[in-house]
Amino acid sequence: MNPTPGIDFARLSLKDALDLAVLVEEEAEERYLELTLQMEMHRTPRAAAFFRFMATNEKKHGEELQARRSKLFGDEPRRVRRAMLFDVEAPDYDEARAFMSPREALEAAMRSEQKAQAFFEAALPHLSDPEVRSLFEELRQEEVHHQALIEKEAGKLPAEDPLPADAFEDEPAAL
Amino acid sequence: MSAHLPTVPAEPKDYKSELKPIWCPGCGDFGVLQALYRALAAIGRPPHEIAFVSGIGCSSRIPGYTTAYGFNSVHGRALPIAQGIKIANPELLVLVAGGDGDGFSIGGGHLPHAIRRNLDLTYVVMDNQIYGLTKGQLSPTSPRDLRTVTSPYGAMEAPVNPLLTVLAYGAPFVAQGTPADMAGLAQMIEEAIRYPGFAFVNVQSPCVTFGQDDWQVKQHRAAMKRLESLGHDATDLLAAMDKARDYGRELHTGVLFRNPAPPPTYESLVRERQQAFGNDVPSPARVLDAFLQK
Amino acid sequence: MRDDLIFGMAGSGGDGIVSAGEALIGAAAAEGYHAIMTKSFGSQIRGGESSCRARVATGAIGTSNGPLDVAVVLSWEDFLKFGGELQVEGCTTVIYDAKSGVAPDKLPLVGVTPAEVVAVPIGELSKRAAGSDKAKNTVVLGLLAGWFEVAGTRLLQRMVKKLAKKGPEVVAAAERAFAAGVEHARANPLSRSMKLAAAKDAPGTKLLTDGNEMCAAAAIFAGCRFYGGYPITPSTEIMQYLSREIWKHGGAVLQAEDEIAGIGAAVGASFAGKKAMTATSGPGMSLKTEMVGLATIAELPLVIVNVQRGGPATGLPTKAEQADLFQACFATHGDSVRPVLAPTSVADTFGITVEAFNLAERYQTPVIVLSDQEIGQRKETVDPIDTSTIEIVERARPSAAELEAYSRFRLTESGVSPIAHPGERGGNYLAAGIEHNEHGAPTASGAVHARMNEKRFHKLDPLKQRRDLFEIVGDPGAAVLLVGWGSTAGACREALSMAREEGLSVKLMVPKLLFPVAEEVIRDVLRGVAAGLVVEASHQGQLYRLLRMYVDMPAGVRSLCRSGANPFAPREIVRKLKGAVLALQRGNSESLQAQE
Repeated sequence: MNPTPGIDFARLSLKDALDLAVLVEEEAEERYLELTLQMEMHRTPRAAAFFRFMATNEKKHGEELQARRSKLFGDEPRRVRRAMLFDVEAPDYDEARAFMSPREALEAAMRSEQKAQAFFEAALPHLSDPEVRSLFEELRQEEVHHQALIEKEAGKLPAEDPLPADAFEDEPAAL
Repeated sequence: MSAHLPTVPAEPKDYKSELKPIWCPGCGDFGVLQALYRALAAIGRPPHEIAFVSGIGCSSRIPGYTTAYGFNSVHGRALPIAQGIKIANPELLVLVAGGDGDGFSIGGGHLPHAIRRNLDLTYVVMDNQIYGLTKGQLSPTSPRDLRTVTSPYGAMEAPVNPLLTVLAYGAPFVAQGTPADMAGLAQMIEEAIRYPGFAFVNVQSPCVTFGQDDWQVKQHRAAMKRLESLGHDATDLLAAMDKARDYGRELHTGVLFRNPAPPPTYESLVRERQQAFGNDVPSPARVLDAFLQK
Repeated sequence: MRDDLIFGMAGSGGDGIVSAGEALIGAAAAEGYHAIMTKSFGSQIRGGESSCRARVATGAIGTSNGPLDVAVVLSWEDFLKFGGELQVEGCTTVIYDAKSGVAPDKLPLVGVTPAEVVAVPIGELSKRAAGSDKAKNTVVLGLLAGWFEVAGTRLLQRMVKKLAKKGPEVVAAAERAFAAGVEHARANPLSRSMKLAAAKDAPGTKLLTDGNEMCAAAAIFAGCRFYGGYPITPSTEIMQYLSREIWKHGGAVLQAEDEIAGIGAAVGASFAGKKAMTATSGPGMSLKTEMVGLATIAELPLVIVNVQRGGPATGLPTKAEQADLFQACFATHGDSVRPVLAPTSVADTFGITVEAFNLAERYQTPVIVLSDQEIGQRKETVDPIDTSTIEIVERARPSAAELEAYSRFRLTESGVSPIAHPGERGGNYLAAGIEHNEHGAPTASGAVHARMNEKRFHKLDPLKQRRDLFEIVGDPGAAVLLVGWGSTAGACREALSMAREEGLSVKLMVPKLLFPVAEEVIRDVLRGVAAGLVVEASHQGQLYRLLRMYVDMPAGVRSLCRSGANPFAPREIVRKLKGAVLALQRGNSESLQAQE
């Protein structure tokens, strides 16, 4: 699917690009928080903890980008809006499962970082502004960095539980 | 940039309520909800001008997850209630949502009549081919031979074809989407809302807990075919019906049919009738005068 | 001179005997008489037997039931099909078409000797005067005008008005037929004079309509601006009236695809801020019950009219019964309560319907109006109603301050929480059939559920103090109590007068609020009561049982009940009342002996 309906990359200014980047992080943070809540509500605490960790990361990155934007452009109004982008870095809803293992959560996050990397890569050929191009290069690189971060988390994980997640699960409840 | 920005730009989060969805993680309905927030933000009507009606089922929880006025009613009755609301206050943007059981089984008798009256409603069905809330029984769109707890030896009925059905009833706007393409879905819902008449959007929204393992969002991503890219002419009813026949075999997404000459809406006829009597109307206080015997 | 006459007339549908009845009651009403007319038909849609009963009196009346004073028989075959509905007794003057060939002393009536039997060549008179035997009904009107002096030439005027659209020849024929009837009556006077005394009330002051139209008119008066429904006998006239009138007042009618959709749309309209109504009869009510529950838990005002007919299932679609009381009180699953009101006459239907809207709006609840086929479809004169003094209640709405932090189901002292409507900024909430907390959020909490049930019950408590919804008349200290409701109340009122004339000390209670049971009011009425009757048209005696469920009834208060379509006559009630008193006296003397 086209994650940025309504955005013309050829006409993207640096301010727009920074705003876009902030919104991408904001969207990802929100989604990770949603998934955290889903996991908490469905008694999957370890995946929840990991998603919360990811949400914090995205928030931090978003704030850094926002700070740069404010420094360069102050309070100048945004032209890019959330409605113009869709699941750029946010993990897909269908990645989530009740009782998913931390490793599965990690893999889901990894796929979304890869998705984001692919997004910035795909945008590069359409960019005309060199400053924007270099920002996108940087953002692409940032996603690669995130992936390394996730790899590192993976290293901390205990060995995967030999039993499947639903091995001793109760029947789902009827409402 | 977008040429039709609303005067007060609305954001998807404006339509998101405090209530946390109870849906299972991985449920297709999350994507539908997200697409809906986007569509509503694009339309830009303030939440208090929206009435969002549903019946009963997992998907029927959806009005509560929005900031609109919601009505999570009883099983199968979303359409009658929504019609009452729209007739009572035509200024409202009235949305209706629910599942396939709600819409095509217990509430199936209401569908043809809502369509033939042609109120300006948008009806989004989250079609997962199963009864999820009651733990995995056959639904009206379950494929033949499907094994469920109420069809342990396989379903003996052919499924309802929602697309063909609503086209046959005369729905002026018919589309199909999937949460595998949230952007497309958002756009489709937006277009449905903007359409001046009864608009139907069937969303294939898989049930992650009781649905078929080989027909989840992931498989949708691979299987979906955009009608646009197939060169489908959405003004051609017969072409739309032809594509609708593929329900259950192909996952066509996009607008199947858009009647280019929308018939008058019921509420506009109501208004005409109300106005036909002009101002020369006796006061309700004189209502008994007609019974006087002279 | 008579001051009260009950006419019963029957023929085939083609004879137009019901049209004659309508002309009779319309003329009587215009003349200033009190009058009630009921119609009854065979099961054919067109072309079957048809009949009407019309009672015309100089004073107030409550029913048209009871033995006929005048029976008009165009065909014995058709007449006899109505059995007990057209009761011939020793007080009856029988007028029949001589053409039937039946000798006056060989009438096909078993065990009855009518007061007088008159064979009239009705068909012949029609043929001679109008050139056709089709004008028999107008000949009959002429006979009535001649013999009974009911409304005189107004009878002809009514008939002519009705026939005007059929052309001048038909009108002229009717005029000649009427004159022939009058002339025949004058030339052949009855053996005893049965002339009706002049009306006491001034001409042109009486309203005339049926309960269904009255209900619909009241709805418009009360502010109803949405009606959703489905045609069903005997309630359809309500929808038909509104389909004609409601648009003029900015409202709308939706003829829905089924009963559920009809009430569903009304629930939706109420949610959107309109006063809304649906009407139906038993089978429809069965279908609508899920929405009764929804409107209860979502706390939405809604008026539901059930024009009762015989049940269960299809039952007796064209006959009155009072067997839907349990359903009205206990419809829908779960703990729920709703006001159930019953009008007792056409006139009463106006006030009760307005009251139903007021209660619905005040307490944000569905309200059921239990009318029945008799009241719904009978035409009755109504004295002018002063509508300027009737209060119209609007639902409580949130203030601007309340909308700042709005909570739809806020627990208030009264249990009623101000209701916001879609379109209103700040009022956004979720209405739901699922249990919810004060803010409207769904919950499965037992504690919240208990609190909300309490709220929904508690808010109706003031209703149980509404003594004005009870008609309590007769001797206040009487030990004998008569209870009637709905359409049986009329016969009970007349029975009360008769019984008191005969020296019996009786009081009558007519509850117009049937549910929730106003325990205190009823206990007060029962104070000092030792015997009595609860009169109703149901096999089980549903009101009797309902009252016993909530209050301790004296053992001497019994149920006088039977299935619908077997109406009660005042005389019969008086007889049974005396029986109850006798039984009590016997019981007393027995218990006295036992004490010895």
